[in-house]
Amino acid sequence: MTRLPMTVVSGYLGAGKTTLINRLLTEDHDLRLMVLVNDFGAINIDAELLVSRTEDTIALQNGCVCCTMGADLYMALGDILDRSPRPDHLVVEASGVADPAAIAQAAIAEPDMSYAGIVTLVDGLNAPALLDDPLIGAQVAQQITVADLVLVTKTDGIAPDLAARLDAMKARSPRALDDAPLAPLLFGVTPLPQGPQPAPHPAYAAWRHESDTPVNRAWLGDRLAARPDGLYRLKGFVLTDDGGYEVQVVGAHVEARRAATDRTRLVALGPADRVSRDQIEAWWSA
Amino acid sequence: MPPITVFAARQIITMDPNRPRATHVAVREGRILAVGGADCADQWGDVVHDDSLKHAVLMPGFVEGHAHMMAGAMWNFAYAGYHDRIDPQGNLHKGMTDIDAVIARLSAQAATLPPGAPLLGWGFDPIFLKSERLNRHHLDRVAGDRPVAIMFSNFHLMCVNSAALSMAGYTRETNAEGVVKGPDGEPTGELQEMAAMFPVMRRVGMDFRGLSQTRAAMRTYADVCRLAGVTTVTDLFSTMEEADLETALSTTGEEDFHLRIVPALGAIGGSPDEIAAKAKRLAARGTDKLRLGAVKLMTDGSIQGWTARVKWPGYVGGQPNGIWNTSPETIFALCEVMQREGIQMHIHVNGDEASDVSLAALEAAARKHPWPEARHVLQHCQMMGADQYRRAAALGACTNIFANHVWYFGDQHVALTIGEDRARRMDAVRTALDEGVRVAIHSDAPVTPLAPLFTAWVAVNRQTMSGRTLGPDQRIGVDEALRLITLGAAYTLKMDSEIGSIEAGKRADFAVLGDDPTQVAPEALKDVPVLGTVFGGRLNLT
Repeated sequence: MTRLPMTVVSGYLGAGKTTLINRLLTEDHDLRLMVLVNDFGAINIDAELLVSRTEDTIALQNGCVCCTMGADLYMALGDILDRSPRPDHLVVEASGVADPAAIAQAAIAEPDMSYAGIVTLVDGLNAPALLDDPLIGAQVAQQITVADLVLVTKTDGIAPDLAARLDAMKARSPRALDDAPLAPLLFGVTPLPQGPQPAPHPAYAAWRHESDTPVNRAWLGDRLAARPDGLYRLKGFVLTDDGGYEVQVVGAHVEARRAATDRTRLVALGPADRVSRDQIEAWWSA
Repeated sequence: MPPITVFAARQIITMDPNRPRATHVAVREGRILAVGGADCADQWGDVVHDDSLKHAVLMPGFVEGHAHMMAGAMWNFAYAGYHDRIDPQGNLHKGMTDIDAVIARLSAQAATLPPGAPLLGWGFDPIFLKSERLNRHHLDRVAGDRPVAIMFSNFHLMCVNSAALSMAGYTRETNAEGVVKGPDGEPTGELQEMAAMFPVMRRVGMDFRGLSQTRAAMRTYADVCRLAGVTTVTDLFSTMEEADLETALSTTGEEDFHLRIVPALGAIGGSPDEIAAKAKRLAARGTDKLRLGAVKLMTDGSIQGWTARVKWPGYVGGQPNGIWNTSPETIFALCEVMQREGIQMHIHVNGDEASDVSLAALEAAARKHPWPEARHVLQHCQMMGADQYRRAAALGACTNIFANHVWYFGDQHVALTIGEDRARRMDAVRTALDEGVRVAIHSDAPVTPLAPLFTAWVAVNRQTMSGRTLGPDQRIGVDEALRLITLGAAYTLKMDSEIGSIEAGKRADFAVLGDDPTQVAPEALKDVPVLGTVFGGRLNLT
């Protein structure tokens, strides 16, 4: 069976996790998402989109399913991995105080799963006060620093003082959450290697690359280390002078493992306000 | 008329100030009809005398106010711990004080299993072993042809053999955090935290769900309790779902199920209002042997894991302050809703910042929705000082103190966690009693063994594993300690009208002892033999 990609949605109480999850469940993406949530009662889906709703599971007409995490995330994960067929993508809502990295590690450790990023939501109004809170500030900051993508909610744009705070914390790709569809960014790079790629949304910069010329193995390592900050996803195969590699980048996370391939085929994506196609092209051809 | 049985005993310690001692107790319909001499029930009609306990000492059935149901079914796995421990069948498992002993014991266990079946173990604690860390080579000596996985006593770490590593696909190429590698770049077999342990647990069938919600798990829990003289026990973070409730009702409803279980629903997985509604639904289904309706709040982590939230000056090793498993904001919200809805809370507080925040949340809730009889219980209370106990007393909140820590971890707390000054006054039972708080003491089984007489011994002696007396001024008397493991704990469960003392009208739940705990040396309190229990008037001897 194919590996199940897992994205962790993190953020302190009131940052907008439930709103985001409602949105992911109903967005037009043709994926059978499985979403595990903490606060099941808060999930609010229009009745006409529902197939069924029980005490712990919501099934949507688009094939998505939302379940309560219950008392134990790992029991729930085990049950999902035992499902046949597996969903296309798993989204886990971390609790407001959870360390999302501790959860996301499971996708790296578990051979049946693959890492698909930590998205941390930041309340654009309350975040500075929360970060200064002597009781909870450290945990809120940790959620931000381990994120592959930081989305600021509740404000148009990011206020300068918060932008400065996020910058000082080395928050990755902070951007204001807007109305652009999120699925292309969070889940979109998956249908590889062949097949028609839907035209990317203008909010995102997409780049594709194919080549038969092997690259130097050390050069590949250097390129991955020097990738543009705004590049959120990079996925595909690279043919090197030391054999083939499967490469997968999600924000801060880089994975390269040996894999058979006869050519280099890569797809990359990032928010258009953080990175451009030309920047990605320039980076790779440098 | 239903029959009346009069049990004779060598001595009955009643915990009833009106008749502290007796030699006979009369039982009718599972309840105590009269207490006194052989003729105590004569005015009630014909009696049958039962002399089967005449050589024993009876006390009220012990009440364990903080334990977890998996304390029973953990024994499905092979024991690999440092301390002596008794299994649910009453067999003593000698502690393993070096790695060779662990290997020898596990090898013997492996030899009893069918070919290829995984060997799963529990209870190993590296904090007590000064030698090299347990690694896959040790466990490969236990078995090379089957997976071996040993869960450590803190449930945050495990060690596995090469066969188990390969099932999970762990190699030198693995880059997952928590898959520990040696200087040679190969996995050592040690796995840290659930994310790294999960792929192995999933493949070897180490299932924690089956340790608490099944009939077998409940029956084994009852066995563990009988051996300890316990007739009422908690399950303090229950994850009970509808199907689990049916299992619990049918199992506890069995005629020969001799235990009252008090599950407290874990307050997670929904808004405070949803959790309150679920607790109320459960409460409506309760029976005399399954007491439902309370909730359990998590706040911080553990002191020995450096995850407890502690006040200044923090940890002696300079570790960062611990973590909130529930945010202070949510603790306030839960306290307000539960108080408003009339739902009793058990609140986990290890560090003194966690107890401080929880007291503040209870104070705020009490101002909004006065409920003097709430009896919310702060659980563990390890670092609470006199000031916080005074606040608990003013609120009418109970404190269930983790006395066993003084023996098991006291030396570690002095050296490694909170240092001498605060370790001397941790688990401050004397202070709590002096400040007028309602107190119980507990084991948190399976974290430490379920054995109220041992817990009482710790509170009386405050001896650590190295033999030192940690904070002698916090010691309490034997009579006080015996009260805490009976009526004291019963009060925290709002069951003091029914259990906790031997007096007319209460349930005939007794601990059956081989000796009088008030007559042995205080240092020998833990060695008083437990012969079993009487539950609802029925003999349930070991």
